[in-house]
Amino acid sequence: MILYLLRRLAVFVLSTAVAGVLVFAFMAVLPGDPAEVALGVNATPEAVAALREQFGTDRPAITQFFDWFGGLVTGDFGTSYVTSSPIGPQIGDRLGVTAVLVLGGMLIALIIAVPAGTFAAVHHRNPLGAVISAFSQVGIAVPAFLAGILLVFVFAVQAQVLPSGGYVPIADDPVEWLRGLLLPWLSLGLVQGAVLTRYVRSAVLDVMREDYLRTARAKGRGRMGALWRHGLRNASIPVITVLGLQLATLLIGAVVVERVFVIPGLGDLLLNGVAGRDLLLVQCVVMVLVVAVLLINLLVDLAYAALDPRLRGAR
Amino acid sequence: MRGRINAGLVIGGVLVGLVVLLALLSFGWTPRDPVLVDAAAKLHEPGGGYLLGADKFGRDTFSQLMVGARTTLYVGVVAVGIAAIIGTPLGIIAGMTSGRLGWLSELIMRVNDLVFAFPALLLAIMLGAVYGAGTLTAMIAIGVATVPAFARVSRAATMQVMVTDYVLAARAAGRRRTAVALRHVLPNISSVLIVQASVSFAIAILAEAALSFLGFGTRPPIPSWGRMLQESQELLFSTPRLALWPGLAIALAVLGFNLLGDGLRDYLDPKLRRIRAER
Amino acid sequence: MLSVEGLTVRAGSVELVRDVSFEIGPGERVGLIGESGSGKSLTALSLMGLLPEGVTAAGAARLGERDLVGVPERRLKALRGQDVSMVFQEPMTALNPLMRVGAQVTEVMTLHGRPAGQARARAVELLGRVRLPQPEQVARAYPHQLSGGQRQRVMLAIALANEPGLLICDEPTTALDVTVQKQMLDLIAEVAPALLFITHDLAVVASVCERVLVMYGGRVVESGPIREVFGNPRHRYTEGLLAASRLTPRGTRLPVIAGSVPAAGQFPDGCVFTNRCPHATPACEQEPALTGEGHAHACRHPADRG
Repeated sequence: MILYLLRRLAVFVLSTAVAGVLVFAFMAVLPGDPAEVALGVNATPEAVAALREQFGTDRPAITQFFDWFGGLVTGDFGTSYVTSSPIGPQIGDRLGVTAVLVLGGMLIALIIAVPAGTFAAVHHRNPLGAVISAFSQVGIAVPAFLAGILLVFVFAVQAQVLPSGGYVPIADDPVEWLRGLLLPWLSLGLVQGAVLTRYVRSAVLDVMREDYLRTARAKGRGRMGALWRHGLRNASIPVITVLGLQLATLLIGAVVVERVFVIPGLGDLLLNGVAGRDLLLVQCVVMVLVVAVLLINLLVDLAYAALDPRLRGAR
Repeated sequence: MRGRINAGLVIGGVLVGLVVLLALLSFGWTPRDPVLVDAAAKLHEPGGGYLLGADKFGRDTFSQLMVGARTTLYVGVVAVGIAAIIGTPLGIIAGMTSGRLGWLSELIMRVNDLVFAFPALLLAIMLGAVYGAGTLTAMIAIGVATVPAFARVSRAATMQVMVTDYVLAARAAGRRRTAVALRHVLPNISSVLIVQASVSFAIAILAEAALSFLGFGTRPPIPSWGRMLQESQELLFSTPRLALWPGLAIALAVLGFNLLGDGLRDYLDPKLRRIRAER
Repeated sequence: MLSVEGLTVRAGSVELVRDVSFEIGPGERVGLIGESGSGKSLTALSLMGLLPEGVTAAGAARLGERDLVGVPERRLKALRGQDVSMVFQEPMTALNPLMRVGAQVTEVMTLHGRPAGQARARAVELLGRVRLPQPEQVARAYPHQLSGGQRQRVMLAIALANEPGLLICDEPTTALDVTVQKQMLDLIAEVAPALLFITHDLAVVASVCERVLVMYGGRVVESGPIREVFGNPRHRYTEGLLAASRLTPRGTRLPVIAGSVPAAGQFPDGCVFTNRCPHATPACEQEPALTGEGHAHACRHPADRG
């Protein structure tokens, strides 16, 4: 058990380090000198050299990498070359918004998918189950940003009950905060819920064919009782894998949905960084998103260990 | 052994066929010039030579959809091609090597997991930031991000094929690894790969649309469904039909490729059914 | 104890088991033999009310005073694990992998109304009774930590927990190592109340049971005390089965029965064995009834080797 945890943790740390090298190397190949870019074409060579020293871009790449990566680990993200403001606090603020967006979307997805998928599996022989499957197939085909636009059309343009975009911090006005997030949550959650429904259905169907469910019924449990007591926990193991992948998808989907609803999250920060050629900012946001994905993978592995006794003895 | 033709296969095939047909047709003919800016036709209502109306620049929506189909398929074909050409051999190698060469398999899968942490959208935004956004960077990003799906699926399928009698016999007869891979493994996992390609194509369409929506995909003036959507957003209150048509096109194309993939799985391959295409 | 009358199992319009009747007295051990596809497992599952979806049973089966067939699930639920229990073929997959063994044994008792504390203590006692060494430890183990033989003992402990009147075993030793089989069989013979034992292995049935039913094509084609049926088989199918089995000394074994078992619904009309029987005549096109007191058979041209 402890060995398993340590192994997973080591994989996480190593992956993070390699990802850091990749992101850094990728951005470092960029032509152009940030100091020259910042000062414009009329700058004197002395001024450029001074700024270069200030940025630290005059040092060897290896030193720069360790400086940057070391900073990330200690929470110091450095200072933007373009806006001269520290990057860490910006990312911190935005991360919270994106996390709320993603987790809310995931929650909606789960609330839809677990009952709907289970129902579709239990009723896989009758038309109602087939209808749910068909709905989920259609849901998969609608990207989150399209769902967002549709939702805006229905709830903001037609019914005019919810705002079409914008974000109010919860401290300012909790009600407006909630109203502003409802449509973004739904656009992420409905689509992921449709995808997840398919996986829940097939996981529950697989479990329904298991011998231990028959054993449970032979003990005197009813069909649903056996599924509830013995099936759902077993079915949750494959679903959790998908859930991990989906959280990653949602994180990226949030980038687009933030654009649709004008929400100041990480995606918004990233796109602004690209538009403003603020490469250090882009580098940091990309790294934060990648680490978030890796962290989700780690959590999925830990969830396995908590759920499945067969893994606890493993490796 | 072939399965039966099923409803999903037919519906998926028809939808995909429709997209392909529109795209092919657009090479020779569109109702109007899809990129012609015409102030007189600004927000032209549907009808009167404008089948689905015109946008705020007076461009014909239907013609734009037709050329947009071309963009979508182009990005999909290249991206899935990149993913298949890189991912499949890696997956086969990882699936065939074990024992003494086990480290190779382990290494491939680890690198795979790492690439998996870089979703297509993120890669495209990085590439766009460095090299400038465009169709090429979008295709490369989507392709690279799809490599792990192909590698994993072909590895799983290869591992199943490797323990079949005919492969064991071929190996016992002293066939070289590459010969086994090309003569036995590849043909036997081809149906799994076709299914994966179809499913990956659907994802590539979604990614391309999202990228174009964000401005990291195909550059104007070349029409693309994602950008049509993005341009329509500000007019959602006044002219919602501008969002309707590209949205519908994206959804139907994705639905088509997904249904085609699922249908092909049932049709081609009752044996390797346990291997699911990765989304 | 158990009496089955005209039990018929259908999947849609296909008859999988037809008009099966037999009785099991208190403490009696009865074997049910036949090749796979003969309908023996379906017979057992219909007594448990555990037939797969789309498969239905008709006819009558009663255990003591209680009906087992044609009863709503709600009432069957109360009987399963309490009055009738079953041990299945595949011990490796029959236990929930995520639940401790003790809890799985306890569950069958709490489900039928025993207080949890009492049930837990009895679970350990039962694990000891099926001869699992260190039952306290086994109770805390997860299924993957036990061997196939040990898991099958756990299944037996679950089946016996509420002291049911009838135990049904469906090929309980087929998946086990030969060395473990014998111990398991002895244990079953020792602890079983009334027993319905399903197997395709004639030697196994001979070592455990007193009486035997031979099934083919969803019908009972011969029944009677083991000694008589195996010593003097009347039905040509039983004859073939015995001739091909390891009960017959090496060298005198006859070739196996010609052809293979048809798919469900593909059996010939009349005597279901006609198409594979070396003695078949046109008379066999009329379905023979199961006749005879004690040792009964359903064959128009019975073997008679005295």
